[in-house]
Amino acid sequence: MATEYVKFVDVTKCDGCRACMVACKNWNDLPAEPQDFLGSAQSHTKTTADTWNVLQYIEHENSKGGLDYLFRHSACFHCTDAACEKVCPEDAISYTDFGTVVIDHEKCVGCGYCVNNCPFEVISLKEYVDKNGDKYRKANKCTMCTDRLEEGLQPACVTTCHTGAMQFGDKTAMIQKAEERVKQIKDRYPNAMVYNPQGVGGTHTVYVLAEKPSVYGLPENPKVPTSAVVWKDYAQPIGKMMIGATTMAVVGAFITNTIISKKKNGKNEDGGEHHE
Amino acid sequence: MQYTDCALIMGANPAENHPISFRWLTKAKENGGKIISVDPRYTRTSSMSDIYAPLRSGTDIPFIGGMIKYALDNNLYHKEYVAKYTNASFIVKESFKFEDGLFSGYNADKRSYDKTQWAFEKDTEGNLVKDFSLEHPRSVFQLMKKHYSRYDVDTVVKVTGTPKEDLLKVYKAFCATGQVGKAGTIMYAMGTTQHTVGTQNVRAFAMIQLLLGNIGLPGGGVNAMRGESNVQGSTDFGLLYGNLTGYLNAPTSTDPLNATLAGHLEKETPKTGYWSNKPKFIVSLLKAWYGPNATAANEFAYQYLPKGNKNYSHMNLFKAMYDGTLEGAFLFGTNPVVGGPNAGKEKEALSNLKWLVAVDLWETETSAFWQTEAGSNPAKINTEVFLLPACSSYEKEGSISNSARWMQYRWQAIKPLGESKADLEIIHELATRIKGLYKNESGPKAEPINALYWNYGEGHHPDIDLVCKEINGYDVNTGKLIAGFGNLKDDGSTCSGNWIYCGFYPEEGKNRAKNRDKKDTGMSLYLNWSYAWPMNRRILYNRASCDPSGVPYNKEKAVVWYDAVQGKWTGVDVPDFVATRKPGDAGFEDPFIMMNDGVGGVFAPTLNDGPFPEHYEPFESPVQNPFSSQEINPAIQIFYGKFNERGFKADFPIVATTYRVSEHWQSGTMTRNQAWLSELVPYMYIEMSEELAKEKGIKNKDEVIVSSARGEVKAYAMVTKRFKPHKINGKNVHQIGMPWHFGYKGIATGETANRLTPHIGDANTTIPEYKAFLCDVRRA
Repeated sequence: MATEYVKFVDVTKCDGCRACMVACKNWNDLPAEPQDFLGSAQSHTKTTADTWNVLQYIEHENSKGGLDYLFRHSACFHCTDAACEKVCPEDAISYTDFGTVVIDHEKCVGCGYCVNNCPFEVISLKEYVDKNGDKYRKANKCTMCTDRLEEGLQPACVTTCHTGAMQFGDKTAMIQKAEERVKQIKDRYPNAMVYNPQGVGGTHTVYVLAEKPSVYGLPENPKVPTSAVVWKDYAQPIGKMMIGATTMAVVGAFITNTIISKKKNGKNEDGGEHHE
Repeated sequence: MQYTDCALIMGANPAENHPISFRWLTKAKENGGKIISVDPRYTRTSSMSDIYAPLRSGTDIPFIGGMIKYALDNNLYHKEYVAKYTNASFIVKESFKFEDGLFSGYNADKRSYDKTQWAFEKDTEGNLVKDFSLEHPRSVFQLMKKHYSRYDVDTVVKVTGTPKEDLLKVYKAFCATGQVGKAGTIMYAMGTTQHTVGTQNVRAFAMIQLLLGNIGLPGGGVNAMRGESNVQGSTDFGLLYGNLTGYLNAPTSTDPLNATLAGHLEKETPKTGYWSNKPKFIVSLLKAWYGPNATAANEFAYQYLPKGNKNYSHMNLFKAMYDGTLEGAFLFGTNPVVGGPNAGKEKEALSNLKWLVAVDLWETETSAFWQTEAGSNPAKINTEVFLLPACSSYEKEGSISNSARWMQYRWQAIKPLGESKADLEIIHELATRIKGLYKNESGPKAEPINALYWNYGEGHHPDIDLVCKEINGYDVNTGKLIAGFGNLKDDGSTCSGNWIYCGFYPEEGKNRAKNRDKKDTGMSLYLNWSYAWPMNRRILYNRASCDPSGVPYNKEKAVVWYDAVQGKWTGVDVPDFVATRKPGDAGFEDPFIMMNDGVGGVFAPTLNDGPFPEHYEPFESPVQNPFSSQEINPAIQIFYGKFNERGFKADFPIVATTYRVSEHWQSGTMTRNQAWLSELVPYMYIEMSEELAKEKGIKNKDEVIVSSARGEVKAYAMVTKRFKPHKINGKNVHQIGMPWHFGYKGIATGETANRLTPHIGDANTTIPEYKAFLCDVRRA
């Protein structure tokens, strides 16, 4: 087995230059997708099928009454125990030897179950049109540049990061660095912490956050939903036996879409604003 | 920068605009260094800093003047450095006076000073009179102390709007670098320079750095964060209107001495300091330009140099265009309809040209100024416009020079697209064709063109290696390359296109700008990576890192030192002084080789607006100057009439400033045509405080209109906690800020901020005051 790697993001060293966003689009050949004006420096509310990492800009009044202008490179966490992998009815999502979580577009049927179950909301569906004019959908997200890892390179975002806010390396060493860094910055950021949530078995993107996860819109303690476990380990195998795999995916998609549309209505879409 | 104990960032936002510099500041932080951000707005740089202090745009001199007073009052300055390495000990003539904001020698009609009244006192033999005790009442030190005694903390905070405790935090942290062995650096950019007192803002930085002993050592210095990757190279190569190459002054006809080469050399050459070699540089430059046509008999073709009698700065050129006295213009990679001050007027001015040649990668708002889309009526514009497609930096070969003066060679990565060409190639074709047209002509117009020595190979493609060799210089008789500018001659036997770069190409096959050795040669100086002028020195004035006897002030961060055992200078940097001098030799202790007196100028009697920085309000200000009855800089040139409408507080009570974002560059031509960058910052916006938004009934994301005496701009409102009203003399003064990158062309479009900015500039450089003007804002 290859070494287990981790992308270590130290948000307190990030200066918000967004070279990671451009490097990602460049390497992965993703198109620009202009958004409406969000009222802050932030360009996209969250990651999308064509924008796999988004730099968050957060104006936060800290516990001392001062202002912090916080930045976070947000992208797929590559969970050790990934809900998306668990719920995918087509086994289109898998772990690589590097510990990254990737989507196989050959197998993906666009049911969107992964989208709905991701605790970090980093997976998105993209609509494509085939040569007959028929529409179909596939799930998209950051691959941690697994194609680069296979060639002995680091992820494009890490390579371009000029302040060293992102590093890529052996899991144990990176986590140790993160823990040491938190000790160094506690004076400036009393709530600083390592974010490597164990509810999903730990992640392959490990953060040093300057503030509590909620300040960044992150779950304090994300878990693989019980429903996903039930689905993957019980319902799906039984269902497939009974009604066939493709039909099962369609059922899954129906459930997912229903949940998504409910969720969207009640959600603040503006990434920049709800922190102000 | 990584070796600094404290970086004061003022008038700059490097985290956004010079992100690579932040790599080194991050290292400085890891090494225990502190970062201070002083800015009207809490920026990304502020978020990376240990201390943030706001100030109102245009009040840098009170801020630093107060710091000078603080350092002097609290005895925090580096005493030996100040006494030995600066002109603090010099005695100034009795004619020097300062009263109510004016220095002596002021002529109100001409808006200029007679600087001879600020001269240093000399004894009967012509030697400077000095007092190393610094106690003489007319010593520079005492005059400085008196001048800045007026800049007490309470007055300063009333002007700058900086909360007192923040101001004192900054003073304390930065002045701690005055301790022997400590180093503080100042990083500035256009937030400092683009003011009617821009030069004096930088001077104030230089003064505090000299007082704290922070010049000439690792982690020290006054660092200009350049506005463009090759601004350093451009100014080195004579881009500025008053310069030939290598900071040699362009001769003007206003001084009768410039009528002859002998007179010009006499006028330009000081008797002491390294500039005493200037005739060698000037004659070698003339030999590079005119080759065999430059001889001792014809004053080395000196008479072919144009000798104007005006100020040829950007604003004056556009004024001439506006008045219809300029016929044609070449605009290489410049987009004044977006980037120029009072851009609406600059657009109008273009329509008075007979012809305009624009050289750019894209059709810009400037080259398209005559089109209907630009709001013009093409039927009424007679300007003939030529657009020459230029290729990008990746499509050509050449060098850029960064702000550390490294000349770094770059190779062509891909062939130019379509018919696009490198600037060098365009100039080459232009020169050869013009020469062809004049070949059979004579007379005063044809002579300089025929005499021009254009020897960069045959055909359409100039041989860039020949250009490099000419820049370095060679022996005109043998063709042998010159090893360094110390070998240039004033007898016409050597040529050098730019003396400060002489030495980068010392022998055949050794273009040192191409050096790429990644080995650290000590103190992270990487002497074999590229070439730093002059003579590959990495830290200018590095003599000042040692005490007068040659012992480094900080042994752990030593770059040069005098080895008493071996009896010679040694170290890891190239000495920026005459290293063969021994203790006791004249000049052994002099750290500032380019200064006539060998020391740093706390007092600068050469500037147009005074030897000490003094606060004047911006051309447009909502505040009265509490320091004197002089509201604005008395030595600035003022344009009157429609070319420069002036706004006042009653109509325009809000202070405005412009700035850049990481994602866009200059007028946006290069970046607003890139989809991935346009997507990141797609819209023109105005940043404002929650307090101002509330007063004006503006909500975040609303469309608003900003107006100034020159025009109106529509944009989105970005309401932010990062802007706060300034408390000026007890009252709230609002400030807004906006990016200046936008125009109507490209993918990301928006209205142009510079339609609001005034036609007014600095008293020394004429750089426009983009960074402080008055406006009002309302909902669209």
